[in-house]
Amino acid sequence: MGDPRFPANYAVLLAGPPGVGKFEYMIAQARDALRAGERVVLVTLDLHPNEVRARAKALQLDLEAYEGRTFAFVDCYSATASDRPEPQPGKRTFVVSSFSNLEGIGMAMSKAAQELGTPVRIYFYTISTLFLHNSTQAIAKFFQIVTSRAKMNMGFILYAVHDGVHDTMTMNLLRSLVDGVIEMRFTDSMDHEVRVHHMRGFQVDTRWRPFVQMPDASGGL
Amino acid sequence: MADPTGGGRIRTGIKVLDDRLGGGFSRPSTLLLFSDKPTEKRLFAENFAVEGAKAKETTLYVDFYRVPSLARAELARFGPFAQDRLVFVDAISVQLMIESREKYRVAKINDLQDIFDTIIRAIRTETPSRIVIDSMEFLADRFPKAALLEEWRNLISEAQAIGSVTCFLFINWTYQERDLELLRAMSDFVVEFQSSMRGGIVRNSMRISQMGEGGVRTNWIPYTFRDLIGVTVYFPRIMVTGPFNAGKSTVVKALCEKSISVDRMGTTVAFDYGSVNITGIEAEIFGTPGQERFEFIFQIFAREVSGVLLVVDATRPEDFERAQKMLALIGPHIPYVVLANKSDLKGALRPDAIARKMELPEDTPVFATVATESQGVREALLTLAEMIIGVK
Repeated sequence: MGDPRFPANYAVLLAGPPGVGKFEYMIAQARDALRAGERVVLVTLDLHPNEVRARAKALQLDLEAYEGRTFAFVDCYSATASDRPEPQPGKRTFVVSSFSNLEGIGMAMSKAAQELGTPVRIYFYTISTLFLHNSTQAIAKFFQIVTSRAKMNMGFILYAVHDGVHDTMTMNLLRSLVDGVIEMRFTDSMDHEVRVHHMRGFQVDTRWRPFVQMPDASGGL
Repeated sequence: MADPTGGGRIRTGIKVLDDRLGGGFSRPSTLLLFSDKPTEKRLFAENFAVEGAKAKETTLYVDFYRVPSLARAELARFGPFAQDRLVFVDAISVQLMIESREKYRVAKINDLQDIFDTIIRAIRTETPSRIVIDSMEFLADRFPKAALLEEWRNLISEAQAIGSVTCFLFINWTYQERDLELLRAMSDFVVEFQSSMRGGIVRNSMRISQMGEGGVRTNWIPYTFRDLIGVTVYFPRIMVTGPFNAGKSTVVKALCEKSISVDRMGTTVAFDYGSVNITGIEAEIFGTPGQERFEFIFQIFAREVSGVLLVVDATRPEDFERAQKMLALIGPHIPYVVLANKSDLKGALRPDAIARKMELPEDTPVFATVATESQGVREALLTLAEMIIGVK
């Protein structure tokens, strides 16, 4: 796809309408990082970890092979579902009890990073879900604190956010609190496109490029 | 009100803290467990709740974030306690639209009145000696401030009427400083929490301040969590230092069940290390070499040190100048105690004489120790721990 590897100690927002392929983009990033021997934390608010595992596998990333060693979930999803999973041996999952418990989410991320070791790459899917359960003001402060903690003490963080569901002020606020923004969109023919909007400290090519969802056999996107 | 723990005080279960608080929090008390960034303050609240249930006190836990079945499972890591002593007010099932089997459950999560009516009904019925509200920011983020403060105050007076110690967890996402002033003024104690990450490790600390004039105030107390034990005070770095051949390695060995020494022909060239766990205090002990040529190691360890045990040979006043110099290297704000070691030997100076010769500040504790016999060293460490925790 020609994207640069993101630097460490850096925060990126990945914005795009629902269904455009943000999850696939994140999984591709996580896959490259894990294959390069880096540590990865995935914070999931929208999907059950089992669903993440299954969807990642379809994208040729076997998360279970890395879990407990260089990969961990922060699971904010399953505690709110009625069927709560039993802890599985060898897989370290940090469960957060509720979407409203912003403090718990923040600490679970720190503890996951502590468990795996730093530096770590954190993928947060999605920040939009928080808005269903908390005020914009509370999320803004949470977002700012977590971003600065991640950059200072943990490493790299990428947040996915749904475009078109938040007001302009909220989106601008989120964009202002990160170092870089990646945008995704649908074309008129319902193809998917991605571009780097900006990256603090880097010269970037901001042209839209096609985003191909299914990986080829070699694993490249 | 009968109180099985005695003295009308409510213990935190963290011994060294309870000692400093004169046996625990007096009844009734209102505690604000506060932070402005994410911390692990919930551990303190959970420890406090379980400690109550362990002591067969009725404890009320109001949970906005966790279904009680999950909370009960999570609290099991604090060790066994009387389950029926821990009563939940379930304020989460309604949010998840799942059935609740709890005796007390909030029915309308968008109705401030209903939430507080449910809590107060539980307080009046159960007359708990401990109450935990987890957490107030949930309400602060959803209801108008004036209405919430009025209910909050009302809850405090209900809890005080039955002699409870009440913990309000609160992380400030949305309030202004002047609102925080109000919250502090409504509380008897403010327990502030910090979590920071250094070198990839999360470090927690807390500070207790009693509101009002002449109130007790501690320093920042580092703490950690241990399965089945709960919250313990934890000093990640206690330094044992002193002039050459004063007995530093022996002090480390006497304090720690297990210790390692990096030495050459009996003298420490890198450092001694051991960990110690006594009466609710855990500490990692680092012994430095005494010789001047190893000062660079000393300076590495002097960073982020919680407190210092300065070991001097009570029979060698000629080394005291070196000891003074080491104190100067540590800096002025680190608490320390002096161990007058080898005090069983002929010609050993008494602690007061050593204090005079070293020109120590008046209230500096000096312990006569015999490290080879483990005499006096634990007492010195406990005193140091109390100084680090501090009560002003």
